[in-house]
Amino acid sequence: MRFSDYIFIAFRNIRRQKLRSALTIFAVVIGATSVAIMLTVVFSVKTFITNQFEQNGTFQQVAVAPQTDITWNDRGGGQCSDCTILTDALVAKMQTRPNVVGVARQVQLWQFEALLYGNQKLRIQQLVAYDTNGVIVDHLLAGRDLASTDKAGVVTVSSDYADKLGFKGNYQGIIGKQIQLYTSQYYNGVGSDPLKAYQDQQAWFAAHPGASGQDYHPAPVSIPATIVGVTDASLMSNYTVRVPLDWARGMYEDQNYQITPAAQQAANAACQGKPGPCNVQPQPSLVVTDELAKNGYTSLIVKADKASDAVAVAADLRHTFKVGAADAQTEIKQQLAIFNVLGYVLGGIGGIALVVAAVGVVNTMIMSILERTREIGVMRAVGARRATISRLFTFEAALLGFWGGVFGVAVGYVLTLVGNPILNKQLQSNNIGSTDILTMPWWLVAGVVALTTIIGILAGLYPARRAAHLNPVDALHYE
Amino acid sequence: MAALIELRNLTKTYRLGDETLHALDNVSLVVDSGEFAAITGPSGSGKTTLANIIGGLDRPTSGTVIVDGNDLSHVRDNKLSTYRNKYIGFVFQSFNLQGTQTALENVTLPLVFAKIRPKIRKMRAIACLEAVGLGDRLDHRPSQLSGGQRQRVAIARALAIEPRIIIADEPTGNLDSQRGEEIMKLLKQLNRRGITLIVITHDPNIAHQAGRIIQIHDGRLSERRGLIA
Repeated sequence: MRFSDYIFIAFRNIRRQKLRSALTIFAVVIGATSVAIMLTVVFSVKTFITNQFEQNGTFQQVAVAPQTDITWNDRGGGQCSDCTILTDALVAKMQTRPNVVGVARQVQLWQFEALLYGNQKLRIQQLVAYDTNGVIVDHLLAGRDLASTDKAGVVTVSSDYADKLGFKGNYQGIIGKQIQLYTSQYYNGVGSDPLKAYQDQQAWFAAHPGASGQDYHPAPVSIPATIVGVTDASLMSNYTVRVPLDWARGMYEDQNYQITPAAQQAANAACQGKPGPCNVQPQPSLVVTDELAKNGYTSLIVKADKASDAVAVAADLRHTFKVGAADAQTEIKQQLAIFNVLGYVLGGIGGIALVVAAVGVVNTMIMSILERTREIGVMRAVGARRATISRLFTFEAALLGFWGGVFGVAVGYVLTLVGNPILNKQLQSNNIGSTDILTMPWWLVAGVVALTTIIGILAGLYPARRAAHLNPVDALHYE
Repeated sequence: MAALIELRNLTKTYRLGDETLHALDNVSLVVDSGEFAAITGPSGSGKTTLANIIGGLDRPTSGTVIVDGNDLSHVRDNKLSTYRNKYIGFVFQSFNLQGTQTALENVTLPLVFAKIRPKIRKMRAIACLEAVGLGDRLDHRPSQLSGGQRQRVAIARALAIEPRIIIADEPTGNLDSQRGEEIMKLLKQLNRRGITLIVITHDPNIAHQAGRIIQIHDGRLSERRGLIA
């Protein structure tokens, strides 16, 4: 029999029992849809996460922190007592390690509470500073990136700030605008007035004799800054204000008017031997401590020459410098492993649905053979071989599986069309720019259809064999 | 005339529970090419079994079946299927047409298994239906045809592969006498054109139209030559 005849006859027989075929295919559709959707979700989320990391060459990056037991999520730095301080000297040594092409020093500042623009006040999630040397690359949407020549007074903000401040779709409009960086209390870095702070404190304690130091709340400070660029708010860098590294160093400074031991001694000396109350007060002087030099950088980002070397570089840094070092790949592998497991579980559920559908196909085919026993007898009488009969029924079962797969994938595709806008909204509310992350790749479409077709073929094997081995004489007289 | 079918010491037994049933008991028979033979006998005498073995639908328990020089007794199922497809046209009492298909599609069926191209098989099927007088009923389904017409479709289907042998098992059994006669006339016409015709019947009127009447009783043959050749 010709191949086209098999297809034609299988088609005709499926159409002959419209309702039964439709119900059987429906069962396959349910299985195929669930498998397709589950694989799509898992694949899309994996792709999405990988893309998020791949942006800005994150896979080449190794995060280094003072404490030794960090993961990639601690790349902003963390608290520790027994740590290796990340100093410029250490950075210089790291630059010379094999496969290291660059090191960016990173500072995270916690003393900033809000960003003020006009009468709007937005909370600051993170205020960061890092080297502009190509290790950390910002994706700019408007304006310019911070340059190594920028010393102070300029910032870049993530696009979610621009959106909130009324510049959505017009990021260029926010460039050059002045904002205030509103600090927490006790801020005494650059931009604060330590003398005034000292005087205020003295005046307050004079007015509140016997008061505890805990009751005194110094006033926060507002530091003016000009926006020079808008960066893309991604999964990792939303609600972020970036300042030049030099400025951050100043912000980190501890500026205090203190009565130094020397001043106290001088005052004591001046009073010595003088009768009565002594009017010589020790004079406070400004003491500036470079906290950054003292405590080191919050973290470092080391760039490996290739993404494939990042794991080795991380290991080398850990070993050589006794620091914590984490690469994005190890991290993402762990994250994706969860999705792999999720994929197996969800795929398993779809698989069970397909097994049930396969039982439906077997049932349908056996019913069909019982009804068509005489027909099989006639076909055998006019010259059909066993193999021909077997193939005819296998084709029919395969076709049930095939259509189930096609409709299943189509339903799955429609569901992604429905799901994408919902996900987009969700992502936008989290200020992630990605859209339509649910995508059904062609191999998934082909794979699911192939899978259901194979399931149809397997389900058809037994009934087909049964049909082929009917005794033609008995079949012809079957009532 | 040369021998087309040669049966030697054919035995066919069935087991029914503990009993062994001899459907054919040491049967030997030669049918020449172009003969019209009627096989008669009471119900259960073994006539259909004999016809099925000649037609390659069934196999003997022992003995030899030789058709056109080919020994069919021990060939594989594939060969037997090819033999049925190339040599035999079956006509059944209950027509055995595919109810959901048109007359044309029914007649085309053996040609599908013969791997003949769709265009040619359609032409041949139309010619066969025209030969049995149903040229205007190509697209009718069996349910839209009378009993006689259905049997004509069955004959057209048997003719489609240009068989050497037509085996008709009670071809008039489901028809009234007038339609029955028409069918017999058609079959005899085909026989005159050289097709060997084997008709199984228990109707003496039909048996007597054959050139040769083979009587079968409890699986054994007895024979006499018919009156009308």
